[in-house]
Amino acid sequence: MRIARFTARRLLQAVPVLLGVVVVTFVLVRVLPGDPIRTILGPNATEADAAAARARYGLDQPMWQQFVDYLGGLFTGDLGVSIQSGQSVMGEMAVRLGPTLELVVIAVTIATVLATVLGIWSARRAGRAGDHTLRVLALVGNSLPEFWLGLVLILVVYSGLGWVPAPSGRVDPDTNLSLITGADLLDAVLTGNGPAFASAAGHLVLPVATMVVVIVAPLMRSVRASALEVLGSEAYRAAAAHGLPERTLLRGYLARAALVRLPALAALVFGFAIGSTVLVEYVFSWQGFGQWALRGLLFRDYPVVQASVVVIALCYTLIFLIADVVHAVLDPRVRI
Amino acid sequence: MAGFSRAVAAGSLPMSRRSALRLGGGVALLLAAGCAAGTKGGEQPQPSGAASGGEGGALRIAVGGYVSSWDQDFVGFDLTALMLFKNVFPYMIDYGVKDVGGAQILDTESIAPTFAESFEPDADNKVWTLKLRKGVKFASGNEMTAADVKWSKDRAFAAKANVAGVYRLIGLTEADQVKVVDDYTVEFHQAFPSALTWQIQAISLYVFDSAEAKKHATDADPWAKEWFAKNPPTGGYFEVSKAVQGQEIELSANTGYPGQDPARLSTIRLTVVSAAATQRLQLEAGDVDIALGMSRRDVADLKDAQGIKVISAPSNNQVAIQMSVATAPFDDVKVRQALACAVPYEQIISNVYGGDARPAKSLVPLDMPGYAETGYPYAYDLDRAKALLAEAGKPSISSELVFEADNAEQQQIAVLVQSEARKAGIELKLVPLDPATLGERREKKSIPLQLTAGQLWVNDVEYMLGTSFTKGANLNYSNYVNDEIEKIFEQSHTTVEEAERLKLWARVQEILAADVPWAIICQPNFTLPVREEVAGWVQPMDGLARLRYLTKA
Repeated sequence: MRIARFTARRLLQAVPVLLGVVVVTFVLVRVLPGDPIRTILGPNATEADAAAARARYGLDQPMWQQFVDYLGGLFTGDLGVSIQSGQSVMGEMAVRLGPTLELVVIAVTIATVLATVLGIWSARRAGRAGDHTLRVLALVGNSLPEFWLGLVLILVVYSGLGWVPAPSGRVDPDTNLSLITGADLLDAVLTGNGPAFASAAGHLVLPVATMVVVIVAPLMRSVRASALEVLGSEAYRAAAAHGLPERTLLRGYLARAALVRLPALAALVFGFAIGSTVLVEYVFSWQGFGQWALRGLLFRDYPVVQASVVVIALCYTLIFLIADVVHAVLDPRVRI
Repeated sequence: MAGFSRAVAAGSLPMSRRSALRLGGGVALLLAAGCAAGTKGGEQPQPSGAASGGEGGALRIAVGGYVSSWDQDFVGFDLTALMLFKNVFPYMIDYGVKDVGGAQILDTESIAPTFAESFEPDADNKVWTLKLRKGVKFASGNEMTAADVKWSKDRAFAAKANVAGVYRLIGLTEADQVKVVDDYTVEFHQAFPSALTWQIQAISLYVFDSAEAKKHATDADPWAKEWFAKNPPTGGYFEVSKAVQGQEIELSANTGYPGQDPARLSTIRLTVVSAAATQRLQLEAGDVDIALGMSRRDVADLKDAQGIKVISAPSNNQVAIQMSVATAPFDDVKVRQALACAVPYEQIISNVYGGDARPAKSLVPLDMPGYAETGYPYAYDLDRAKALLAEAGKPSISSELVFEADNAEQQQIAVLVQSEARKAGIELKLVPLDPATLGERREKKSIPLQLTAGQLWVNDVEYMLGTSFTKGANLNYSNYVNDEIEKIFEQSHTTVEEAERLKLWARVQEILAADVPWAIICQPNFTLPVREEVAGWVQPMDGLARLRYLTKA
């Protein structure tokens, strides 16, 4: 009940934040230099054609009128029409968001599990060769550009070893996967399509691996630092001095306390991962949200930019809410 | 409070941990399953088409992006979509094919009916009559009739976009000028006779299935824009048999094509592979047969690769530096001539294009009727450039040189030009711009110096003047206005005789040679890496590939 109240309160608090994001995005995207209409007109277009196109997208209206229309649309679930494609932004986003969220959720989950296991392992061997090796490897992984790492993985694992399918798309079209959520793995489960499930999983290997390598380092450092603090704490040393079994020490004293900082950091990393999918999606022809948003920004497709920024803000808000709840569950000192 | 928290924690922590581990393990298994699925027994991956069974003959083409919309009347400048439209819409007439230096290219001087039975003018060249073949059907089963042509043209005029824009050049500005005579005959009543009609109609005369469209039209959307944006057109050389959003489009040959020259291949798959480097790897692995979108450097590297050949065909793609004649210091013709003498033409052809480009000697493209070598009397000559600047009384000048961000080719050219121009006393600041900013600045005509690359959709000097060298023309980034050119352009509208037109074009080139609004750098060949089994590539002079000629051994 308390968690439900906390969640409801936080969601209410998010409303003004999101409204602020809506206003700032609406203004900023129009302040940026660049004309979205000129990018869709042919070489023989006249000023009259440009004016007709502006009227078609409501860009001939005063700014305040455009904002009122946009805001009204938001409340009715209408995010407008893409200037580049002429299609509903909501419809386009629906097929773009699923693939990206699937990629990010799987990558962040794997990275979090890996960071937990390796961080605690590393802390318990602090100063030894294994600890140093792991930290250096994590640092190297964190320093690699996603674009380059993705290409190297494709070169080695697809081109050299032939272990994964061609990096074009997310699932073999011949598996006839029906689109439900846009997250292919999930759709394959929901429709009971085995070949599509295997194909989608195969296509996920390299992009997920690329993202995991890049994001695991900060998570691991956090877990390691927390674990070192716990290992040096009086409570832990007292428990160890009393001869408690290794398993009890690890599970009861070390792991939970070491994970306290992880949710907030994982939330930050999640947000970072959504941003960094732009390059990963490009390299792996993922056709996800990141590429869609970037194209929208490059061509000043106002409705697309506005919708993508609001969605990212919403994602951040929700993920930090979840992180706070998990933090409270892990740490009894935190009250919500 | 503490008790509540503790109780939840006691119950939830082991659950969370176990869940997390289960999830992690599950994902690992999924990935392992995926790996196994992808390895096919640890061997090198087979081309996916071959692996799918019964599809071994399908040709796979890698393209850089998915179509942004299926509606040709309202789509933005999306080359993948425009190329697809050429192949899936029923175009009534189209270019023929000719051989140039061993390469097959579209012949813009030979245009013939394809889906139509005939398309002919009256004695005055003002009324053009389109006769449709009987029994030609769309995928819906609806027969293509004059009503479809009329509805399609009405829609194009209402759209006030691509087709309406080019129709103005041949005196078609109102929907009423398109008249239905009977079920299979339509007339186009032009305001004046035009030598451009064949070419303009070749790029504009595509037809929608209007009976199907009307089912999806509403009061708010009378032209079924929403439906057409999402649903591929039918009735062309190919039908879209499958479209997986963002990933792949499968084309199947239209067996009902009524003409003499149907699609050679039964199935073509266009697969989205965004990154050029990934396209290259897939081509080498045999997962795609043609890579449309690779960088020149990658293409050059593939020339000696096993199993791959690189097709090189002459193209009318022009690379130029447009100088704003309305902006100082380029408002002085001597300064423009000086820059034209400071461009390292041969160095660019050699270093940027690996020799795979033709030097240009006129602002009229090499393969355009009327081209004359006297049209651009400038060569790399730094002493002459310095002398011209001295004559202009400006021994040193500076300017920005704008080019497209994320365009490696233009960046290389810009660096080479900057380096040589500096030696002549011209200091250039390189400014890469994103598409929207570039579009806006071009609209405002506020760029003093910019790199441009592209080819015209219509291979004719009249069209070139109308788009690039006349007052207010959309591509006239130079702000170039010359009274005599304006008169010649007006005169050309109604000059149909070929010999007369050639005289006009000769004069145009003399004027442009003196005024030099562009430094024309070269015409790069179109290069395309394909698997050795692929044949039949026909170089499109409008840049939009006709896939019907392709074959795969």
